[in-house]
Amino acid sequence: MFHNRMEGLALALPAAVFAAIVFLVPVGILLSEGFRAEGSWTLASYASFFESELNRTVFWRTLKLGAIVTAVSAVIGYATAYSIVTLPPTARGRMIGLVVMPLMISPVARTYAWIVILGRTGFVNETIVWLGLSDTPIRFLFTETAVFIGLLQLFLPLMILSLISALENMPKDAVPAARVLGANWLQVFVKVILPLTKEGLVIGGTLVFTGSLTAYITPAILGGSKVLMLETLLYQRVTVANDFASASIIAMILMVMSFSANLLLKRLATARNKR
Amino acid sequence: MFKKLMASGVALAALGGAAQAADKTLVISVYGFAQDAFKEIVYDPFEAQCGCELVVETGNSVERLAKLEARKDDPEIDMAVMSTHDALSASRKGITQPINVSRLSNYDKLYDIAKDPLGDNLAVGYTFYATSIAYRADEVTIESWADLFQDKLKGRVAFPNVSTNQGPPALYMVGKAIGDDAADLKAAIGEVAKNKDDIVTFYERSSQVAQLMQQEEILAAPIGRFAWGAYSKMGFDMAWATPKEGQTGGMNVMILTKGAKNEDLAYEFMDFWLSTDIQTKLAEALVDSPANAEVKVSDEIAENLTYGAETVESLQLLDPAVILDNRESWLSEWNAQIGQ
Repeated sequence: MFHNRMEGLALALPAAVFAAIVFLVPVGILLSEGFRAEGSWTLASYASFFESELNRTVFWRTLKLGAIVTAVSAVIGYATAYSIVTLPPTARGRMIGLVVMPLMISPVARTYAWIVILGRTGFVNETIVWLGLSDTPIRFLFTETAVFIGLLQLFLPLMILSLISALENMPKDAVPAARVLGANWLQVFVKVILPLTKEGLVIGGTLVFTGSLTAYITPAILGGSKVLMLETLLYQRVTVANDFASASIIAMILMVMSFSANLLLKRLATARNKR
Repeated sequence: MFKKLMASGVALAALGGAAQAADKTLVISVYGFAQDAFKEIVYDPFEAQCGCELVVETGNSVERLAKLEARKDDPEIDMAVMSTHDALSASRKGITQPINVSRLSNYDKLYDIAKDPLGDNLAVGYTFYATSIAYRADEVTIESWADLFQDKLKGRVAFPNVSTNQGPPALYMVGKAIGDDAADLKAAIGEVAKNKDDIVTFYERSSQVAQLMQQEEILAAPIGRFAWGAYSKMGFDMAWATPKEGQTGGMNVMILTKGAKNEDLAYEFMDFWLSTDIQTKLAEALVDSPANAEVKVSDEIAENLTYGAETVESLQLLDPAVILDNRESWLSEWNAQIGQ
C-alpha cells in the first residue's frame, strides 16, 4: 500500500486539518459551554436542565418518537427490502429507484405534503368522513401522530436501503434451507435473516434514530410548539432567549443519545452472535 | 440575489487603495427579507448618489446581534436595522451610539412614534406594522381579542408562538380583553393555556398561517399587517379585525454602531432611506409601510400597509424595555403552561 505509515498519515492530513478547523474546534467550544459555570467545570447545568418538567417531557418525547420510528421502520423495512431482493434484476433496480426517489426531494417539500394530506380537507379526512367513520374531520396536524408519520416517511428509505444491501449479501439458499428443515416464517426471520443482516439493521437503525432525533423541519412543521422535540426546543432557546448554554446542553444530550443508540444496537447485534 | 457576505476587510482589499476606499465604503446589516426590492429601490440608487460601495450583511436578528456584539470593540458594521427591542438590547450591550438627528434632513417628516422610540435618540423608526386578527367574515365575527376563544373557533384558530415578534403583542391584547394587561402576561398566557387544546397550532412563521387559512384548517389568527396581502387574494371573504381593545403591532428601527468607521456615509444613507421618495417607493412595492408621514399612496396600496396618521396613532405597541426585561420569563411561563 504505502511505503510507510508516514505517507498514509500525510495523505490523510489535509482532510484531518480541515475537519478539525471547521468542525471539531467550533463544536468542541460550543459543547464545552454546557460544562462551564462561573469559571469552573461542572455538571450543574445538566442537572438544572433536567429539573424542568418541560425539558424532561421533551426529552422523553424525543426518545420515544425516535425509538418508535426506528422500530416501525425496521419492521416495514425488512418486509419491503426482502420483497425487493427477491425480484429479478430489472424490476429490483426500478424498485430501488422508487425507494431512493423521496431522498432527492427536499424534506421541507415532503413535510408540507403531509400538511395537505393530513389536513381537515385533506385526503385522509375526506376518506374518513366519506366512509362514515367520523362525522367531522379528525385533527391529525400538530400532534405526535403527525410528527411520527412525517419522520417515518423521511427516514424509512434509509432503513430499506441498508437492509437491501444486507439481504443481498445473505447466502441465497439460507432461507429455503431453513424452510426445508421445517422452520416457519417467524423462525426463519428470527434465527436466519436477523442474525445474517444485523449489520444492516445496526446501520439503518442508527441512521433512522439519529435522523429522527436531529430532524428539525419535520417536527417544527407537523408538530410545532405544541409537540416540542429536543431540536425544536434547542432552536427556541437560541432564537428567543439567545441562550447558547442551554443550546449546547441540548446538543450534547442529542449527541450522547445518538452514540448510545448506536452502541446499544451494536451490543444487541453481538449478543445475538454469542448465542 | 444581492448578498455580499464578505467582511469589510475583504471588500477593502478587493477594492485596492485601502485608505481611499475606506472613506467610500458603507457596511450595513439588515433583515434578509425582500433584498431584491431593496437593491433596486434603495441600495443601487444610493451607491449612485454617494459614489461609494455598499456592503450589505443579512441574517436573522439573533445572528446579526451576536455578530455586532462580537465585533463591538472594532465594528465592521456602520449601521443596522432591527426591531425596537433588539435595538434596545444592542444599546444596553454598548453596541450603539445616539443618533444626531440634526444630521437627518427628513427627520421632521417622520410620524411622532418613529422619531425617538427608545429615548435618548438611540434609534429612529423607518417602518412599522399593525398586528390584529385576520378572519373569515363569512364564518365568524370578531369584535374583541377575546373572540379568538369563541365556540365557533374551537379547533379552528391559530395563535402566534410567544417566541415570534407577533406573540407578546397578541398576548398583551388578550390580557387587555380579559381585563389584566400586567407586563408579566401571566393572565393572558393562562387564558391561552385554558384554550390550548382548541388552538390548532402556535405558529412560528407568518407563511405557515397563510397556508392553514388557505386549506380552511383555521378561520382566524392574529397576524402582522405585512402578511395581509396573501390573505386578501385567497378568494375567501377575509376581514381585518378592528377589535374594541385596539390593534397592536411592532416597529423596526435604524441604529448607528458605536465607533462606526463610516459615520458620515451612515447618516447620508439613513437620511436617504427616510426620504419621502424612497419611503414611497418601498410602500408602493409593498415592502415596508412608511414611517415618513409625507408619503402618499393609492387606496389600493394603502389596503396592504399600515398606513395613515390615524392607524399609526391607534397602535398599542408594547414598550421595548418591557419586551426585553420579560422575554425570558414569558417564555418560561409559556412553556410551563402551554409547552408541555
